[in-house]
Amino acid sequence: MSIFTPTNQIRLTNVAVVRMKKGGKRFEIACYKNKVMSWRSGAEKDLDEVLQTNSVFVNVSKGQVAKKDDLSKAFGTDDLTEICKQILAKGELQVSDKERQSQLETMFRDIATIVAEKCVNPETKRPYTVSLIERAMKDIHYSVKANKSTKQQALEVIRQLKESMQIQRAHMRLRLVLPAKEGKRLKEKLKPLLKVVESEEFDEELEMVKGLQGVCLVDPGCFREIDELIRCETKGRGSLEVLSLKDVEEGDEKLE
Amino acid sequence: MGHTSLEKIIALQRNPANIRNLCILAHVDHGKTTLADCLVASNGIISNRLAGKLRYLDSREDEQIRGITMKSSAISLLYAIGEKEYLLNLIDSPGHVDFSSEVSTAVRLCDGAIVVIDAVEGVCPQTQVVLRQAWLENIRPVLVVNKMDRLITELKLTSQEAYIHLQKILEQVNAVTGTLFTSKVLEERAEKEKEEKEEKESEASGGDQVYDWSAGLEETDDSHLYFSPDQGNVVFASAIDGWDSGMAQFAHIYSQRMGIRAEVLLKTLWGDFYLNAKAKKIMKGAQAKGKKPLFVQLVLDNIWSLYDAVVTRRDKEKVEKMVTSLGVKLMARDSRHSDPKVLLSAICSQWLPVSQAVLSMVCEKLPSPLDMAAERVEKLMSVGARRFDSLPKETQELKQAFLQCSSEENAPVIVFVSKMFAVDTKALPQNKQRPLTQEEIAQRRELARQRHADRLAANQQAENQDALPVSCPALRQPKLEEDEGTKETFVAFARVYSGVVKRGQRMFVLGPKFDPTQALSMGCSASDALPAVPHLSCCSMESLYLLMGRELEGLEEVPSGNILGIGGLEECVLKSATLSTSPACPPFTPLNFEAAAIVRVAIEPKHPSEMPKLVHGMRLLNQADPCAEVLIQETGEHVLVTAGEVHLQRCLDDLRDRFAKIEISASKPIIPFRETVVRPPKVDMVNEEVGKQQKVAIIHQVKEVSQGRLSDTLHVDSSGLVTLTTPNRLATVAVRAIPLPQDVTRLLEDSSELIRTLEQLNMSLREGRRIDVSPRTLEAITELKSQLESLLQGRKWRNTVERIWAFGPRRYGPNILLNSVEGYHRPSVWQCLVKGERSGEAPVVRDFDNSIVSGFQLATLSGPMCEEPLMGVCFSVEQWDIQSSSEPQHQDSVEEDSASHEASGDGTSTAEGTSETSAQAEGITAGPSQAKRRTEAGSVDCYGPVSGQLIAAMKDACRHAFQAQPQRLMAAMYTCEIMATAEVLGRVYGVLGKREGRVLHEEMKEGTDMFIIKAILPVAESFGFADEIRKRTSGLASPQLVFSHWEVISSDPYWVPTTEEEYLHFGEKADSANQALKYMNAVRRRKGLYVEEKIVEHAEKQRTLSKNK
Repeated sequence: MSIFTPTNQIRLTNVAVVRMKKGGKRFEIACYKNKVMSWRSGAEKDLDEVLQTNSVFVNVSKGQVAKKDDLSKAFGTDDLTEICKQILAKGELQVSDKERQSQLETMFRDIATIVAEKCVNPETKRPYTVSLIERAMKDIHYSVKANKSTKQQALEVIRQLKESMQIQRAHMRLRLVLPAKEGKRLKEKLKPLLKVVESEEFDEELEMVKGLQGVCLVDPGCFREIDELIRCETKGRGSLEVLSLKDVEEGDEKLE
Repeated sequence: MGHTSLEKIIALQRNPANIRNLCILAHVDHGKTTLADCLVASNGIISNRLAGKLRYLDSREDEQIRGITMKSSAISLLYAIGEKEYLLNLIDSPGHVDFSSEVSTAVRLCDGAIVVIDAVEGVCPQTQVVLRQAWLENIRPVLVVNKMDRLITELKLTSQEAYIHLQKILEQVNAVTGTLFTSKVLEERAEKEKEEKEEKESEASGGDQVYDWSAGLEETDDSHLYFSPDQGNVVFASAIDGWDSGMAQFAHIYSQRMGIRAEVLLKTLWGDFYLNAKAKKIMKGAQAKGKKPLFVQLVLDNIWSLYDAVVTRRDKEKVEKMVTSLGVKLMARDSRHSDPKVLLSAICSQWLPVSQAVLSMVCEKLPSPLDMAAERVEKLMSVGARRFDSLPKETQELKQAFLQCSSEENAPVIVFVSKMFAVDTKALPQNKQRPLTQEEIAQRRELARQRHADRLAANQQAENQDALPVSCPALRQPKLEEDEGTKETFVAFARVYSGVVKRGQRMFVLGPKFDPTQALSMGCSASDALPAVPHLSCCSMESLYLLMGRELEGLEEVPSGNILGIGGLEECVLKSATLSTSPACPPFTPLNFEAAAIVRVAIEPKHPSEMPKLVHGMRLLNQADPCAEVLIQETGEHVLVTAGEVHLQRCLDDLRDRFAKIEISASKPIIPFRETVVRPPKVDMVNEEVGKQQKVAIIHQVKEVSQGRLSDTLHVDSSGLVTLTTPNRLATVAVRAIPLPQDVTRLLEDSSELIRTLEQLNMSLREGRRIDVSPRTLEAITELKSQLESLLQGRKWRNTVERIWAFGPRRYGPNILLNSVEGYHRPSVWQCLVKGERSGEAPVVRDFDNSIVSGFQLATLSGPMCEEPLMGVCFSVEQWDIQSSSEPQHQDSVEEDSASHEASGDGTSTAEGTSETSAQAEGITAGPSQAKRRTEAGSVDCYGPVSGQLIAAMKDACRHAFQAQPQRLMAAMYTCEIMATAEVLGRVYGVLGKREGRVLHEEMKEGTDMFIIKAILPVAESFGFADEIRKRTSGLASPQLVFSHWEVISSDPYWVPTTEEEYLHFGEKADSANQALKYMNAVRRRKGLYVEEKIVEHAEKQRTLSKNK
């Protein structure tokens, strides 16, 4: 190694290190901050905007460049650009501030959108707007967890929001057809799962189906359960049909 | 209430001949409210000194702060000429264009109007509008040229110049009136011609036709319409300084002084006349001889010299001389005041009090309720296009009642409510503290004096004891307020046209669609039992009020011809209504609003838990404001539509402070989009033919397709057919997306209601139930089917209508699911048309048919571009096979079908490859899964139920099929109608162009200089449009926006330059002008979806955080 003097060293600023272990060796590349995610998602297409330098390091902060034969042993090539691309695609990276911020923001919006899609105001049966949900989420100081899926978090948010405002998951409208024999027994089992039974008829004279049929509203969370129950108990003779996924008011309403 | 006693007003109300209902109209800031102040001051309600500064009728806080009137408010005044006493119901109206709806409500109730014009500014846009409004309502206007003082003090005109200036203004006003008149005459003539033509055609006789080119203008006399001082319908005034000069007064003064008859003087005072001093004669031709016109010499010069002495030169001696010669008494403190304006108004208000000339002109020139024109009555009573003659006889008889305006007991009562306004409950007279009588005041004064004396004597105890009884009611008051303080009471702003309204009387409320013929045929007359006639309800007059500006006085009964307030109607009257005791009465024609509501904002409470309060508040606001509209959209947004930004501000303030009483926030409303696919374009962005050139860049789609190939269950072939296998490899679907022709989309959209019924019918049919369908519905469905057939022509669409599987989203949207699976004959959606007679093979619905439909519904509900609904897309399912143990026979047939399909179709080798692989996969998995199913007695495996998997697979397949075609965004469009004068036409075009608008056509309105421009504007660009166009054209153009249709945005949101030419044109990034990309990213960002955007644009330009080593 040459003498380490201020004149012959290149100082890198704004470094984001991407590391990868391959062939028992650790390799690092020096990238710009806030750029690696864009590269991975395909928004950034210019490699020079991502990489600070083309060389592959063993340790970026110490400035130790990886040995050529190590590289060719691990990657099977000595084309540095190709190796950099591989490391960029598969290595572990430091998430920079702006990347994290925009990621959390996107997730926050996403959660709010999911909640707004799934929920209604139980009084009016109308959905809430996303911005209102966002504000409500801020009011309850909900913090987004980056490692949980947005859908999971949305369900959590709904539970928490229920304490502060009138909100409810939009019900599913289902039509159940149960064979006459098991109908009564099954009904008792289904009862706690159904929210509202809209219509119910017990009809022997039906042309195609003999038995009990009814239209009801259920919480979407119970759908699996009901589905399984009906399938197992009636051995495939009962049927379940989803009439609408979301029971909401449709069309614009003029307030008068 | 000052000097005018309530009894006197009540007495005067009984005499319709001496009632004048009038409103003050003008452009904003021309001095309506100031003038009203002067008139109010003449009745002693406010002091003369404060007149013009107080703005008594601007009772709202924001009106006072902003200095503009925002609502129309009425006040009743007394005026006496000689022995005759008049009752004036004066309505002050706002001048700002946003509140022109308030003007409409005011104009409807009046018989006459005072049009105020600024002497400096002349005729302004709103002046034209109010003149037109007055004209349309057939009410007679008189003119007040206000702010004469500005001519003297600001413009520094000489009296001669001022005279010419005034003449010009009058000419302008008369020109506007003239245009209104000619356009009316031309309209009438056009109508007449049409009738004549029809007649001629019916006669079918040739003969020689004589064309009449005179346009009827010459025959119709219009001289009475014009404003001229010698007609006595113009007054020159300065409301702020408190003077005015009517012709009559001056004529009166000078006839005595000069010995010329008043009538002669009156005729010659305005115009080209001069006074020959030697001959003491009035001669014609002042201009030619260079003499001062009579008006200048006699009227203006005097006023000018007064201003000169008082304001400009401040010549004390001269002022005193003038004061004595005018016979005016001046108070010492006025003459000592440092501000000359005070002195001036003190002199003027005694010399030429403003109310005098205006009020006398009003009383003489404006009609009383008795002189209502028969034409106007007919216009009021004939709704819509119905002619008055076609109304039933009983109704026509009511016209007589109108004209007589009788206050007899048996006369039918007709009341028109033009608006509802909210009043604090505590401001109502019944809740207000009783006004104190003279004795009580004296008593209290005595008490206060005593207390004062006591305090002087420092007798603390005595004071407390005395103060106690007095403060007691004051203490009780706030408590009461708290109970009712939260409530707003609505008072109807109304006028009695006939009969006498009494408190507690029951009356019919006639909705705008009410038809008297229906009611008459039912034969109902008693107003106690509510007959079952549509648009008719009953109400009782709970309380009647006399409107006195911000105050209300309770009344027992109100005879006809008067303006009144009615309480207790909020339940049955929304914004305006006609009330009558006779069911024969037709509802009055709706108010014509000059400005429609076009500014839309979404409103939200600051705290989500306050939603119910907001809804309640919006309801109240809707009732209180004639122009505001509120609605809840499907997205859950609460939208407020107002006429303009100022109006919006007022509505928000009202919501915040009065109606909802919560913190709210207003934001840009959510703009909906639709997603669609189009046919592959023939030319690229630089109009080069596609396909002939070399591609120099990687196309996006290529990447996507290659990504698609990565997963083993998905396959996309080059023709856009997408094949997808479920995760458990049991089912495979192949879907292709095809753009629907535009007409089909439109047809489907228009008949969504019908499709919904169709769907319900099918549903019940599937269950084996029968629903009785009206033949009309069936007919409509047949009609729809044949229309679709005629629209879907060509090889590609052969037999498609029969094969329609479902509509979507939500089962009635403008997208089609097509059954192109060979060998699968499911009952078509038109099965309800075939009545029972099913011949041959009965169509069988396959298992999981519903899952396919559900998947399609989900896919159409939110597209891949920005999760907005799809529109105009046809998904054709070309292959669908399931390996299911429960129905082996089906599976076999389907497999055969699919195989034959592959062979016959143009399926490429890759497609066959997948089907093979899928078949193999099926072969592998079939065994274990069958076993599993047997054990579990249900089709549950690790991927969940098959139905669910199939839904997901179908949804994904549709999405990919959609992406395989050229995708486009559709934007909602407004049609925009703009009325503009010729000089601002260019600016209108500028604003439209900036906002991506497109002009369809423009035409000139006959007989006027107004242009009517029809344009199309994307909804996404409409926020702030109205405001901008008004600002840029200084209010001379007024747009109206109505939603019209969806339009495909021609640019491809995923477009990147691919050819050399495109690179040259658009550069590498090409994100500059892509409107569709802009919209799409905005929606995606709002929804928290991934937006393909760099977090930082330039890596090197970030802030460096490292230490300086």
